[in-house]
Amino acid sequence: MLVARDLVRRYGDLTAVDGVSFHIDPGETFGLLGPNGAGKTTTISMAAGLIPADSGSVTVAGEPMGPGEVHVKRHIGLVPQDLAIYPELTARENLMFFGRLQGLRGQPLSRRIDEVLEIIALTDRAKDPTKEYSGGMKRRLNIAIGLLHEPTLLILDEPTVGVDPQSRNAILESVEALSVGGMAVLYTTHYMEEAERLCDRIAIIDSGRIQAEGTRSELITLTGGVDHIRLAGAGQSAATQAALRALPAVEQVAADGHTLTLTVRDAPTAVAGIVTTATGAGMTLSEVEITRPDLESVFLHLTGKALRD
Amino acid sequence: MRAARAIAAVELRRFLRDRSNIFFVFLFPLLLVLVIGTQFGGGGGNGRVAISGTDSALNNAITASLEDDDVTVTRAGAEAVRQQVARGRTDVGLFISPAAATAYDAGDPVDLEVVPGTQQGTQATLQRVRTAVAGLSVERGQVAALVGAGIGDTQARAALADAAAASTPPELTVVDVDSITQEFAGLGQFDLGAAAELLLFVFLTSLAGATTLIQTRRLGVMSRTLGSPVSTGQALAGHAFGRFTIALFQGAYIMLATAILFRVSWGNIWLSLLVLATFSAVAAGAAMLIGSLLDNDGAASGIGIGLGLVLGALGGCMLPLELFPDTLRTIAHVTPHAWAYDAFAQIQRHDGTLVDILPALGVLVAMAAVLLALGTWSLRRSMSRAL
Repeated sequence: MLVARDLVRRYGDLTAVDGVSFHIDPGETFGLLGPNGAGKTTTISMAAGLIPADSGSVTVAGEPMGPGEVHVKRHIGLVPQDLAIYPELTARENLMFFGRLQGLRGQPLSRRIDEVLEIIALTDRAKDPTKEYSGGMKRRLNIAIGLLHEPTLLILDEPTVGVDPQSRNAILESVEALSVGGMAVLYTTHYMEEAERLCDRIAIIDSGRIQAEGTRSELITLTGGVDHIRLAGAGQSAATQAALRALPAVEQVAADGHTLTLTVRDAPTAVAGIVTTATGAGMTLSEVEITRPDLESVFLHLTGKALRD
Repeated sequence: MRAARAIAAVELRRFLRDRSNIFFVFLFPLLLVLVIGTQFGGGGGNGRVAISGTDSALNNAITASLEDDDVTVTRAGAEAVRQQVARGRTDVGLFISPAAATAYDAGDPVDLEVVPGTQQGTQATLQRVRTAVAGLSVERGQVAALVGAGIGDTQARAALADAAAASTPPELTVVDVDSITQEFAGLGQFDLGAAAELLLFVFLTSLAGATTLIQTRRLGVMSRTLGSPVSTGQALAGHAFGRFTIALFQGAYIMLATAILFRVSWGNIWLSLLVLATFSAVAAGAAMLIGSLLDNDGAASGIGIGLGLVLGALGGCMLPLELFPDTLRTIAHVTPHAWAYDAFAQIQRHDGTLVDILPALGVLVAMAAVLLALGTWSLRRSMSRAL
């Protein structure tokens, strides 16, 4: 459905996207997981034909995509990170406007508006100005506009930013339903849980480069099966860290204030020795937490920093 | 083209949805036209005369004569008439004392007091008063001569009326030599104010509305629009057309409302609409330029309103261009307002034709072309920034 090859985009001296390649098959949900500033939005802006790539190419449904490829954009439903709606207009008026931009008219447009209003559960509020909506309602309308013309590829750029947990769950359920319906989805997020829940395949992106790509289980194997143990408490010092590094099960020790994060093999077995060593080296523990591998661990493993840094 | 129309339509819808516009777009211009017309507008026709005096044959005869001459006559007390003259609300004050009324009834010599104003056109109106009074004297002399010849008073008056109806007397046209007075000849009370306020508000509304362009970028709607099957050219055309539609709507509303409420004469309506359309295109270009050069809608609103007021004042929307010194009047023509003002003056006052307004239209079209080109170029750059 979408093929991106060696995409590069520079802003002055900054290379925002540096050789990004990926593909999305029909009916597949593909995630771009990375922290803010990783290059996710720039990547999807090129994928959606909003901005040109300095080099590389994008094809959608086999056709080259770019800012001038107007007819190719019919395949795409774009849900930008900003709430791209007019606050003084009602939901129906917003849908009517964006539907017209997609080439829809008359009865088919009205019918389709009724359908998407039903999907996002805003039928009762369709005639209210959207400035009176809650953040979650606006987010749902934002997605509905992307779905209006029944695209074959839906591009969602962090669609759950700033919404309450209930609306967030509703949005995630909607996206799950879309992939079941056969729509290809490109989903960017910096929430690991969303990527794990929604995406068939995930690309981890940082500093404009894709660090790794694969299914969730494929990515987790990249960590080498290591676990993490977080020790929180007072009295940690260089000596404590050195003592812990000396343990055979410990591969890495990272300090952050009163917290030590240890990369270890087989944490359940190693935790007792680690606690003994830490307390013996002068640390008074207030909290011990074992974390088995997840995408956060993968990101940490690949980049050496936390996903939300 | 469909996309451009959709963008223009939604821009107009947003404009109408803004509640603050109810006052500033719909009520405020009409209030200003009313105030300016009431305070400074001529009464129309051949001047204004305020008469003080009790109801009498003399009073009625002078009033009838003046009104026959298309002079607007009002009646008030002596003090009120003096105030009207002093404040320029009437051209001439005429005072008919009870003694004068009685003397007239008795056929004796009559003394009348006249107080002329200081504004342009006073001398012409004063001459009309003299003519009316002289006419009464002549008629009285004719009646007296006939009565003296043995004809009854009633028959004498009837014979004079028949004679007047049967003959076509030479028509006296009082021409004011003052060029400024001549410039305003033929204008109704609210006509000048309506044209000036139309120009002021079309530009002001357009420039103030430039903020919606900034909001469209900031809200991400511009990105979403370009993520749709809409070319950059179509999006630019849509926003330019949207600005133009709003300006045209504001102007057409003022034309229609003032024509209905104040009986403003817009002359040849098609020519007036042509002037409005070209002026609206200039305003649309200016609005696009401001809305694309600035990224802060508060700043854009402030600059837009400030610039709109300054250009309006310089362009003759607050003080008629005819009252400007020559140098300032020349300078005023750097504004589109002054050219549109000239065109409306030709159409409203002098029954101007298309040929008469072609120079002004040509300048307005050139201004619109330059501003729309600059606005489009600037908006294209700002759209790139927004992406």
